[in-house]
Amino acid sequence: MLVYQVTGIINFAQGEFVMLGALGFAILREGGMPGLLAATVAIGATVLGGLLVERLCLAPARQATEIRLIILTIGAAITIQGLALVIFGTDPHFAPTFSSGPPISIGGAVILTQYLWVFGATALAVVALWFFLTRTMTGRAMRAVAMNKAAARSVGISPSRMSMLAFMLAAALGSIGGVVLAPLQAPDAGIGIALGLKGFTAAVIGGLHSPAGAVVGGLSIGIVESLAAGFLPSGYKDAVTFGILFLVLLLRPQGLLRSVQEARV
Amino acid sequence: MKQLVREVFPYVVFAGALLVVPAIFTRVPFFTMSTAVQMAIMAIATLGLVVLMGYAGQISIGQAAFFGIGAFSSAILTTQGGLSPIIALVAGMVLAGGVAYVVGLGIFRVSGHYLALATIAFGLMLGYIARQLDITGGASGIFGVPNLAIGQVAFRTDLSFYYLAAAILFICVVLVRNLLRSLFGRSLLALGNSEIAASSSGINTAKHKRTTFVIAAVLAALAGSLQAHWITFVDYHTLDLLLSIQILIMASVGGVATVWGAPVGAFLVIALSQAAKETLPEIFPNIGGQFEIVVYGMALLLVLLFLPQGVAGSLQRRRSRRAPTSETVEEVSV
Repeated sequence: MLVYQVTGIINFAQGEFVMLGALGFAILREGGMPGLLAATVAIGATVLGGLLVERLCLAPARQATEIRLIILTIGAAITIQGLALVIFGTDPHFAPTFSSGPPISIGGAVILTQYLWVFGATALAVVALWFFLTRTMTGRAMRAVAMNKAAARSVGISPSRMSMLAFMLAAALGSIGGVVLAPLQAPDAGIGIALGLKGFTAAVIGGLHSPAGAVVGGLSIGIVESLAAGFLPSGYKDAVTFGILFLVLLLRPQGLLRSVQEARV
Repeated sequence: MKQLVREVFPYVVFAGALLVVPAIFTRVPFFTMSTAVQMAIMAIATLGLVVLMGYAGQISIGQAAFFGIGAFSSAILTTQGGLSPIIALVAGMVLAGGVAYVVGLGIFRVSGHYLALATIAFGLMLGYIARQLDITGGASGIFGVPNLAIGQVAFRTDLSFYYLAAAILFICVVLVRNLLRSLFGRSLLALGNSEIAASSSGINTAKHKRTTFVIAAVLAALAGSLQAHWITFVDYHTLDLLLSIQILIMASVGGVATVWGAPVGAFLVIALSQAAKETLPEIFPNIGGQFEIVVYGMALLLVLLFLPQGVAGSLQRRRSRRAPTSETVEEVSV
């Protein structure tokens, strides 16, 4: 989503960043590395991956049409997934939860402690991102590039460097998500596509232009999915998710697309 | 006379290439006749996307949905409806065309990234539904789809099926190529280059996009039906996102500026992935799953970065730089 804001590209490789973070973390933990170090290495490696994707695939094609850029990120996504399959195979890997201890009961609902870590990490990421984008010079420069590339360049901001930064940041955020999720859902090399698509669905429903929107979108998908599970056999859960995405795109494109169309005129 | 030769020449080359495939594929490593059948089927599906992407300038990452509609129509109508395979095949194409028309009424309100996501969502939704419904065989799929037969001639072996699929591919290429050189094709090209300019010169862009979407869907359904009758089995994997991506990759690798991109792309991509399937496991012991997608991804990236016109597009461009033909117009689009 961040990448979309800065570069105008929907990054289909985002889910693969989550996969890399989760898989890297789980494999290192299985190898006996302490948690904090394993997380740092996994996130660092993914950020490097993000940098490579941007430099090797997207930077050379800066002038390409929108369709080609979409296809390029898809190419990057399946190359990453394919490489992960070649190197790690399809076996899922397991990471222990961050904090041991029994599930906590809050107001009658029982929650695994790992979920608290997930909530905490999400909240922290949203706040940090907000702070970065609105309160720091670099973050403001990044938003300037998103708004108007030529104008940003004329005041001395390098769009190319910002796009690079955006990809690294997106990879970092994705892999943090992967690391906190790893103990909940044993990651294998193939989880990226599904996670990425769910992420998009959340982002599109919540609105592509605000970080908080993605969180709202994610939550509303979760709610609708569990509601649907009450009426339909549980196997339809995913069909419902993507049905919603499809309908939102079809029925409310003007609402979601507003700023995109403005940019085009 | 010269004009006629120039018109017919590409078809002769193409027909010749299709005819020598059996002779070559039975003699070299990696390739078998079933690879050749797969190539021909995928080339038909890719052809639709070439029209949609290369001419109308619209993306679809949901072609597997229509491939699947064709495959499941064939499977259900023949095993449960008792219809002949030919009728089931045509019914599948009609159904896919109808669905594409209805979806096309809404889906082209969006474009670019949103269109890509909408087509993905549509394809995934159908895939998850097919996995649940009884009529599509749920998770286990439908077995025992009969082979195609025309009159008394049944296409059972890989070789005979190859000739059938190759003949159908040839007919489709001729039809689509002629269509693209008609007023309709030129309108599409204008649409793909600049939607605003096209609509201001009186082209009904919404209708043209929809028609193209229907054409792409019908071709994908035809390919899906053929595959169902060939492997005599269909399950929800037919609607997989990976298939949509494969079709997209074949189109991009071959090049979407010309109909020849479809067969070239299908050939190259399937040949590469076949080679990867045989060689990579020996090097990487941990390998697993559909690892050959790494080849798809790399082929896609390399072609997009170094041959933006695709392989067929680049070849054609080199040729026409020497002798400009009527086809130069076709190459304007990307």
